[in-house]
Amino acid sequence: MTATTETPKPPRTIPDVCVRCATCMAVCPVARVTPRFPGPKQAGPGAQRFRSASVASVDDWIELCTGCRLCDTVCPAGVPISELNLMAKAKYLDERGRTLRDLLLVRSDLFGELAARFSKIVNPVLKNRVVRRLLDAILKIDRRRDLPAYQYPTFRQWFRTRTAPADAAGRPEIAYFYGCFTNTNEVDVGKAAVQVLEAYGFAVTVPTQRCCGMPRLGVGDLKGAGEMGRRNIDLLLPTVRRGLDIVFSSTSCGLMLRHEYSAALALPGAEELAGGIFDICEYLLGLQREGETAIRFRPVLRKAAYFAPCHLQALNIGLPALELLRLIPELDVHPVEAECCGLGGLYGFKKEKFSIAEEIGRDLAREIARMKPDIIITDCEGCRMQIHRLTGLEVVHPLQFLRDALASPA
Amino acid sequence: MKNWDLIVIGMGLAGLTAARTAVEMGAKVLVVGRGIGSLALFGNTIDVLGTVPPATDLAGGVTNWIAAHPDHPYARMGWKGIEASLRAFCELFPAPYAFAPDGEGNSLVPTGAGTLRPTYLLPATMVAGARITAKETLIVGFKGFKDFQGDTVSLHLQCRGVTLPLPRYGLEGLTALALARLMDGVPFRERLGEAIRRQTAGESRIGLPAILGIKDPAGAMRTLEEVTGARVFEIPMLPPSIPGMRIFHRFRGLLIAKGATFLLGNPVTGAEVRQNRCEGITLQNPPLERVCRAENYILASGRFLGGGLVSDMDRISEPIFGLPVLQPASRGDWFGERFFEAQAHPIHRAGLLTDRGLRPVDAGGRVLLKNVRAAGSILANHQAIEEHSREGIDIATGFHAAREALLS
Repeated sequence: MTATTETPKPPRTIPDVCVRCATCMAVCPVARVTPRFPGPKQAGPGAQRFRSASVASVDDWIELCTGCRLCDTVCPAGVPISELNLMAKAKYLDERGRTLRDLLLVRSDLFGELAARFSKIVNPVLKNRVVRRLLDAILKIDRRRDLPAYQYPTFRQWFRTRTAPADAAGRPEIAYFYGCFTNTNEVDVGKAAVQVLEAYGFAVTVPTQRCCGMPRLGVGDLKGAGEMGRRNIDLLLPTVRRGLDIVFSSTSCGLMLRHEYSAALALPGAEELAGGIFDICEYLLGLQREGETAIRFRPVLRKAAYFAPCHLQALNIGLPALELLRLIPELDVHPVEAECCGLGGLYGFKKEKFSIAEEIGRDLAREIARMKPDIIITDCEGCRMQIHRLTGLEVVHPLQFLRDALASPA
Repeated sequence: MKNWDLIVIGMGLAGLTAARTAVEMGAKVLVVGRGIGSLALFGNTIDVLGTVPPATDLAGGVTNWIAAHPDHPYARMGWKGIEASLRAFCELFPAPYAFAPDGEGNSLVPTGAGTLRPTYLLPATMVAGARITAKETLIVGFKGFKDFQGDTVSLHLQCRGVTLPLPRYGLEGLTALALARLMDGVPFRERLGEAIRRQTAGESRIGLPAILGIKDPAGAMRTLEEVTGARVFEIPMLPPSIPGMRIFHRFRGLLIAKGATFLLGNPVTGAEVRQNRCEGITLQNPPLERVCRAENYILASGRFLGGGLVSDMDRISEPIFGLPVLQPASRGDWFGERFFEAQAHPIHRAGLLTDRGLRPVDAGGRVLLKNVRAAGSILANHQAIEEHSREGIDIATGFHAAREALLS
């Protein structure tokens, strides 16, 4: 191969890769419900042609992109649409300045532990109507949106103080990335992950970890997200280098760890980490498929709906949770044929975006009403919050459901 | 470790048909798509062979066409095979949103450019658009909806047209998807129907852009017909195609229910080939690469837009397997003199040559890959645009390729 015949590769973010075919306009959940957002074609590659580092942003609607990444998955030309949006959002917010709300909300890792410690006080305060009115008025956190309650002891404390299985020493080891929300708000998801991994014969370790940085990325804080990424890469790479696989139970944390550390943030060591980190259901399904450790489940006579979160679709690993759930005898489980729950992480908590989030979610709620399940299963904490709010039904992580269906109770 | 019986590369109508045919035969199937495929762009009606005059026997017409074009993809399965594949397609769409021919053979339906186009299978929401007359037809466009210019359509069809403001304040500038979503709701349909009724002047057929709902298009049509007292039909328009998304959702829903795996959003960047067999394909999901393995493979990656064929300044090539591509001798021969010519541009005939079982062959007719078959528009020797045969080729070759892969 000679260098002269090589065509130089254009940068990934060049907007001219877009052929204007409008496929992305067929899936964007925001453009589906509001004309205020022009849709991925216009917001991403379209407006990119007019953006310049030296000229101030004029496209304030860029903030309305939820960062679901569905546009990326359907694009036939491989345009990194959501990344173009993210960069534009970051520039716009850098110029405008971030609100106190953005600064507070993204620090779930810092406040979470503290809030969990004082959950007996914090939870009632967060439910208090006066407090919610104040948060609504001052911080523009919509008072109609339930704030998740904090739990104590946290997952980390539970893990540290529990009795590990007696034969743990002889078992193959696996590492678990639980994520902030599991740690302080949904401890049972973490417990279920550990219990199911142990049922599969692993000894579980929990390496020291920080917030993945996705909330910061969501508000276009590339610097802050990069900082979280660098810390996690430093903390997690030794585990990967020990030959241990890391599994995650939160699809958004997973997308961040596996793809965004390299794609959006270009962090050193990101590729090595990506090679050693897996969605927990993807990992377990792999074991089942290879017949290495196929475990049995007891029959569960229930009607369940499975919802595939956007960030799971962005991971592009298929629907491993659904395939695992199908191993449970008697379980009547069907995927929900709707795109996006609308919450978009912190997006749906924001006063000015609340109605967009609700309108997107309405399609999902309608589909669930048609299916009439008695439980909904989904991998993402945001989706669980939103679907519970929209339907009032019990919503669990696939691992919680699988744990409850283990033939010999964990 | 082979996780699948069949891997289908491409999520257009050809790939989805192949995947569906295979899951119905009990196979474990993986479908991979760089993007969602052409249905989101062009999917509307099912063309089979538009050169056969409307309201004449299509079976005879296709059979004669095959006799005159022995290299055409249709020659691989003949009318009988085409018919079987179309029947299977129709079974996927039970009433009320069913696909059927309107009377004998092809019919002419209006397009978003205001022309008439021959096609074969029509979804229930487009049937009333066939055989329209100028006097009885009203075309309805929406103010601020850029993907459908009702004035252009009515001007060319020489019938009356109106452009309505939408019945809820602030909706101007909505997208096709947003409009279709609103049409899934009954109150919106009723209000729109009422607004249209006020504009009618005795017309018995009303044409609208193809946005009559995603989930319940037949219900939307029924409501509009009840309110207006006229027959209502959809007219295909600029992408994205809502009717195409309905087809895509139907296939995807069925495939996932039957246990197929969908991987959408990453390109296939390479294939492992050993002794004339494909042993695996590589999917690139930066920064990771993933190898997927199956007994059989179907290449339904489309043409230039889908990335199934690529070209540099001189040559056209097939990027995944590096298969030989039938093509004009030099770039100078790719195109005719003028853009709109009666004869297809020679580049349109470029594509893969195959044996009867749709396995790619070299110029000498030797099978290159024993477990790989090609389906859809990537095949050589058709001119889907000029022949109006795109969906028919997709369905017939997708169906045939899957059956050949699993039965041989």
